[in-house]
Amino acid sequence: MKILVKSIWTKLGGIDVLRGVTLEISSTSSIALIGRNGAGKTTLLRTILGILKPYRGSIVVEKGGEQIQTTRMKPYKIARLGIGYVPQGRMIFPDLTVEENLEVAYGSPVPSDVLEWIYTIIPDLKKLRKRLGMYLSGGEQQMLAIARALVRRPKILLLDEPLEGLAPRIVKTITKTLRDIREEGVGLFITEPGNIKRIKPLAEKAYGIDRGEIVYSGNVDGILQDPVARRRIWGL
Amino acid sequence: MSIDYALVQAINTLFYASILFLIASGLSLIYGIMRILNLAHGSFYMLGAYISYTAAMLWIGPTPAGFVAGFVLSLAFLAAVGALTERILIRPLYSKPSELQLLLTFALMIALDDVVKMIWGPEYKSFTKLPWGYMSIGHYSVPIYMLVVIASSTIIGLLLWWFFAKTTIGKQMRAAAYNPEIAAALGMNTDLLFVSAFALGSALSGFAGAMASPILTAYPGMGTDAIVLSFAVIVIGGMGSILGSVVGALIAAIARTVMVIVYPLLEVALIYIVMIIVLLVKPTGLFGKEIVERR
Ligand SMILES: Nc1ncnc2c1ncn2[C@@H]1O[C@H](COP(=O)(O)OP(=O)(O)OP(=O)(O)O)[C@@H](O)[C@H]1O
Ligand SMILES: [Mg+2]
Repeated sequence: MKILVKSIWTKLGGIDVLRGVTLEISSTSSIALIGRNGAGKTTLLRTILGILKPYRGSIVVEKGGEQIQTTRMKPYKIARLGIGYVPQGRMIFPDLTVEENLEVAYGSPVPSDVLEWIYTIIPDLKKLRKRLGMYLSGGEQQMLAIARALVRRPKILLLDEPLEGLAPRIVKTITKTLRDIREEGVGLFITEPGNIKRIKPLAEKAYGIDRGEIVYSGNVDGILQDPVARRRIWGL
Repeated sequence: MSIDYALVQAINTLFYASILFLIASGLSLIYGIMRILNLAHGSFYMLGAYISYTAAMLWIGPTPAGFVAGFVLSLAFLAAVGALTERILIRPLYSKPSELQLLLTFALMIALDDVVKMIWGPEYKSFTKLPWGYMSIGHYSVPIYMLVVIASSTIIGLLLWWFFAKTTIGKQMRAAAYNPEIAAALGMNTDLLFVSAFALGSALSGFAGAMASPILTAYPGMGTDAIVLSFAVIVIGGMGSILGSVVGALIAAIARTVMVIVYPLLEVALIYIVMIIVLLVKPTGLFGKEIVERR
């Protein structure tokens, strides 16, 4: 499966936040999207998911040899094509338990084989099954957000700053979990505000974004050498 | 005060609380899930009352079958009206300032009063007979009908609790209440969840009207009385909480009974005094959660 983003322009509050973004996301690779605060990373994910509508350009999902126009599709239909979403700040439903958070995303009580699969990838969640979302630590919330995105068995996961605001030890655990998910044949698209060192073990390729424009596309290490990316993302 | 008299007043109070609970829980769940304050919610109560009157007095006659038909019809009709209202009038306004929703539902409330006057006329509609007979308590006589209303409302309260605590769709409504965008991006059909929640809340109000009118009569403007009272109930109990609606309705009904006994001319005054005290002491209501402004 592939998501083809074709020169999309998205406005927020009358301002062009995405300005002709073109990129490709695939179920057979792991890609980082690097850009500093306010660059438009979240806006791009929300546009891909149909929460925001671009006023120019188009988004196509390529699936089983079919080309599906998702530009004007409802978010829940886009999600059901096989796209999982781990939002920035986790956004766990606070008054639902861990298992209920999974249940609402799945659409019915999660079948035991899917639950087993999730608990083999994220074993720590199993003992937290009955705990309310509001009582989870940041790391536990991040694990749940990932699990919640996995219940529909998506082909591609969109993760918005999954390593941000977590202790180094937790970053390590999440990194391992995401690598396992990649091994399971799920494509990853991960945003990262600027820490190349921690995103490197997770990504095979990188895009750089600044002020709504793609300013780099290539391998992860290359972004630190690229003069345009260095200037626009790090101001060097 | 005799035991008999106290018992009769207790039944009256519970009857009144049952009706208030049904209206207020509908209003509260719609607000809790969608952040829509539907000012026409009381008018749905009024429509339920007139439908029940039509079924029981004009079509079938004041038999148990006539009354039950009225309840079922009101429930179904107001669910449909609620669904259409959300779909056609309210959905386009979700992303707009909330004043627009208030104005629109206010207009609907005024319009429905006129609709009712056009169809049924301006006068009070009384039911000449209650089904299921009377029970005597000492030398008082209490309609069994009131006990049926109290029981129905209790069962509906339990069903609501079960629905939101145990079913996936109920939990999805709570998830969508917390963050509709995230819910949708995770694959939940939020359009369907919202239209269902609105239909459910409206049906509760219509059902309340159908159950209330045989005792409290049906009249144009009863919707306005109902919406104001259910605001009081929700302010006392707390927005978006079913338990809050139960407690709010009980407190309001007790306050009313007290006034009926000591000074009937100011029947509902004490309800608003309690409401003001709660607003001053605990603005989120006794069982209310912090409601976050969403947009
Ligand atoms: N509702 C809004 N109205 C107007 N501008 C907005 C709105 N939301 C975001 N923006 C602006 O759009 C730009 C991109 O925001 P976005 O959230 O996509 O950035 P980001 O790359 O995800 O940043 P961060 O690393 O802080 O999460 C920012 O300049 C932001 O100020
Ligand atoms: Mg962001």
